[in-house]
Amino acid sequence: MSERQLNRIRGREVGTIFQDPMSSLDPVMRIADQMVPPIMRHLQMNQETARAEAIGWLDRVGIPDAGRRIDAYPFEMSGGMRQRVMIAMALSCRPKLLIADEPTTALDVTIQAQIVELLRELTVETGAAMIFITHDLGLVARFAHKVGVMYAGKLVEFGPVKDIFAHPCHPYTQSLLDTIPPVNQPERRKLTQIPGFPPDMKLPLVGCAFKDRCAAAHEHCFKDTPELSARGPGHRAACFLPEGLGEARHSDAETIPPMVRNSDDRVVVEVFNLHKHFVGRSLTPWRKPPTVRAVNGISLNIREGETLGIVGESGCGKSTVARLLLGLDPVTSGDIYVDGMAQMVFQDPSSSFNPKMTLFDIIQEPLVVTGWGNRAARAERVNELLSQVGLDESYAQRYPSQLSGGQKQRVAIARALAIKPSVVVADEPTSALDVSVRAQIINLMVDLKRQLRVSFVFISHDLLTVSYISDKIAVMYLGEVVEYGPADEIFRHPSHPYTQALIAAVPVPDPVAEEARVKNPLSGELPSPLNLPPGCAFASRCPKATDYCRAEKPILQAYSGTREAACHYAN
Amino acid sequence: MTQEIVALPTRRPLDVSSLPIQGLLRLVSNSRVQLALAILMPIIFLTIFRSVLPLPGPLDTNLRAMMQPPSIEHLFGTDRMGRDLLSRTLAGVQISMFVGFAVAMLALAVGLVMGTLSGFFGGVVDRVTMAITDIFLAFPSLLLAIGLVSVMGTGMLPVVLAISLSDVPRFIRLQRSLVLTLRTRAYIDAARTVKASQFWLMTRHIVPNTIAPLLVAASIAAANAILVEAGLSFLGLGIMPPEPSLGNLIRDGQSYLEQAWWISTLPGVVILLIAIGLHFLSDGIRQVLDPRSRK
Repeated sequence: MSERQLNRIRGREVGTIFQDPMSSLDPVMRIADQMVPPIMRHLQMNQETARAEAIGWLDRVGIPDAGRRIDAYPFEMSGGMRQRVMIAMALSCRPKLLIADEPTTALDVTIQAQIVELLRELTVETGAAMIFITHDLGLVARFAHKVGVMYAGKLVEFGPVKDIFAHPCHPYTQSLLDTIPPVNQPERRKLTQIPGFPPDMKLPLVGCAFKDRCAAAHEHCFKDTPELSARGPGHRAACFLPEGLGEARHSDAETIPPMVRNSDDRVVVEVFNLHKHFVGRSLTPWRKPPTVRAVNGISLNIREGETLGIVGESGCGKSTVARLLLGLDPVTSGDIYVDGMAQMVFQDPSSSFNPKMTLFDIIQEPLVVTGWGNRAARAERVNELLSQVGLDESYAQRYPSQLSGGQKQRVAIARALAIKPSVVVADEPTSALDVSVRAQIINLMVDLKRQLRVSFVFISHDLLTVSYISDKIAVMYLGEVVEYGPADEIFRHPSHPYTQALIAAVPVPDPVAEEARVKNPLSGELPSPLNLPPGCAFASRCPKATDYCRAEKPILQAYSGTREAACHYAN
Repeated sequence: MTQEIVALPTRRPLDVSSLPIQGLLRLVSNSRVQLALAILMPIIFLTIFRSVLPLPGPLDTNLRAMMQPPSIEHLFGTDRMGRDLLSRTLAGVQISMFVGFAVAMLALAVGLVMGTLSGFFGGVVDRVTMAITDIFLAFPSLLLAIGLVSVMGTGMLPVVLAISLSDVPRFIRLQRSLVLTLRTRAYIDAARTVKASQFWLMTRHIVPNTIAPLLVAASIAAANAILVEAGLSFLGLGIMPPEPSLGNLIRDGQSYLEQAWWISTLPGVVILLIAIGLHFLSDGIRQVLDPRSRK
């Protein structure tokens, strides 16, 4: 097909929403300039009606004051707003099919919930079909009707969403579903991990693509390629075995004994009334410089062997807390006490290591710098660490570029553990990883925490993972802790309206449960930390907010004996 | 309980840029580097072994063979004093190569140290260094070199110093920008959590990762230095005759261009070849080191 023919289909027949709203709009064009011409062209409208149409769409996707915002440039809008504009653009020519390629991956959970809800409403309203491409099984459960599971360039399973989640038939789908930390489970089980790597697509493939990673693979799988075959009404899977992994599916899920807690376990980290302000440069010398109040009075403590999860949206100050704990940035005021050393596991495995150093040098660096042992003792320690994180000793002489993302995160953990720290701060350690690899890293951290009784601070926006791995959770909003207490309790009975909204926003990988949930996504976005409101910081988005909240700041108070919440109306 | 080995060696290609011998091999397997070597190696070999070759000395005059065109006896011909031009050109190449190498190394070394300090410490150190750098960058490099040579006098050392001085600011700028991007890498933070000294951070984590781009810049600087040296000598500010250099060979010949084209032209072609060769070399190094240009 020629470009001209394609252009007739693009927009008119098929609308597209891209992954990164920050780069999918042209930064030098006003919204109107990007939206109006396609409408004029595809719907044969003149300038004025097309513009009115565009404003109508912007209004429908929830852009406030659409008539004025249509003349804004993309940089004047937040990520969530830009994604709304993208959706308006994609739908404005009334396409029959909407393709959304990971449209919410770059957004925060609460914004993600808004966008997903919007997409669902609009597709129902306009009658457009949607292909929603994602790696997040929870989102699929939330609003897909049919699911196609792809592996190595092929569809391996296809069917109605409830069937796929209730009776997955392909081993890959089955393992994928088991890698997600479950919700509301009385006892914690280890997550399933899918061993190995996807096949090298440069090489010709003989047999089933998944055979090397499949526990149920047999001779037949190595010779012939299974085709999609019927498993139920509208449900097809590409596997020779009717049940996929069958009985073997749950055999390796060993339970994790709950942590034994002694009240006399020593406190390894104590944070009291921590503040961190970043002072900008003022435009004129007599004006007060703008101050970003990233952290505003946080108090936490972590006991030996305990894991503290810190959750919140981006910009809430959770990474700043991590850097303060490690002493990477000076505190503005407040106290941090760390008994022993604090170490860190970073989010981005690709920039965590010096590319010119071997893994041996990387892992032994903390030992060398702190003057630990002699050469032989260090070599022994490095080997011990490598085996603790599940890597072969032969890896010591490799370079970081030769490792996969998951392996790099293992090395990062090994490096963090080298000097036997009392606390390891992990800032989004799994968010850059694939779902199957994520489960491996989470399992590893759970194991290490039990074996070594090292404390972890686990920072993430992924509530499911945080509640799975943590003993205690601190929910942060705009530099403050709004709820603090035992993980299970907070996850099951959140008391602060923000925690409730966060948990409601997390898509659960279970279509039946998703259907039953009340979907009332939090409206609005995070206010700027440059000028915080005098009252409760959350009041602008809170469904329960009253004038009292806007005037009087709630402080973190004991709530129901075991935890604390900062809300006047906590329940 | 230890973890089972879940990770098997990946099938990804080795990143050989971090292994010295294999890195060299990959460098040589790059087509641009091969082209560069094909141009430069013969010139370098002839220059190194010119004393062994059956050539008259570069300063040997032969009044019976003046202004002779290229022949079997004198491949590049002779000049107005009967000196063998091939011999003189090779002697000039030797000087050029030396100047190019010396300038590149000197500028690299100074730029490396000052740029690292400036980028790493920031603040007053950075502002002072950048102010001085900007002043030097404001002058065209040839003009700056001419000015310096006229103060320091002619000869090899002043020429090298003058050209280096005009190259150093570029290296400082480059190194500083590299350091600024590296300074925010997570591995620097990781080392800081164990209280690694600033010297450790600079020597272990920052400098090793800046060497590759600096070498690319150095090979361009070498080519540039050879051209500037030729230019200075041509203007009579560089290497003084009768000592041959590519620049003053061209100048010698320019008044006889109509009668004896070879006196200027052939050394000029050699300069061209060296410059092209070095540019191909730097292009090749950049291709090999820059992962984005890999197919």
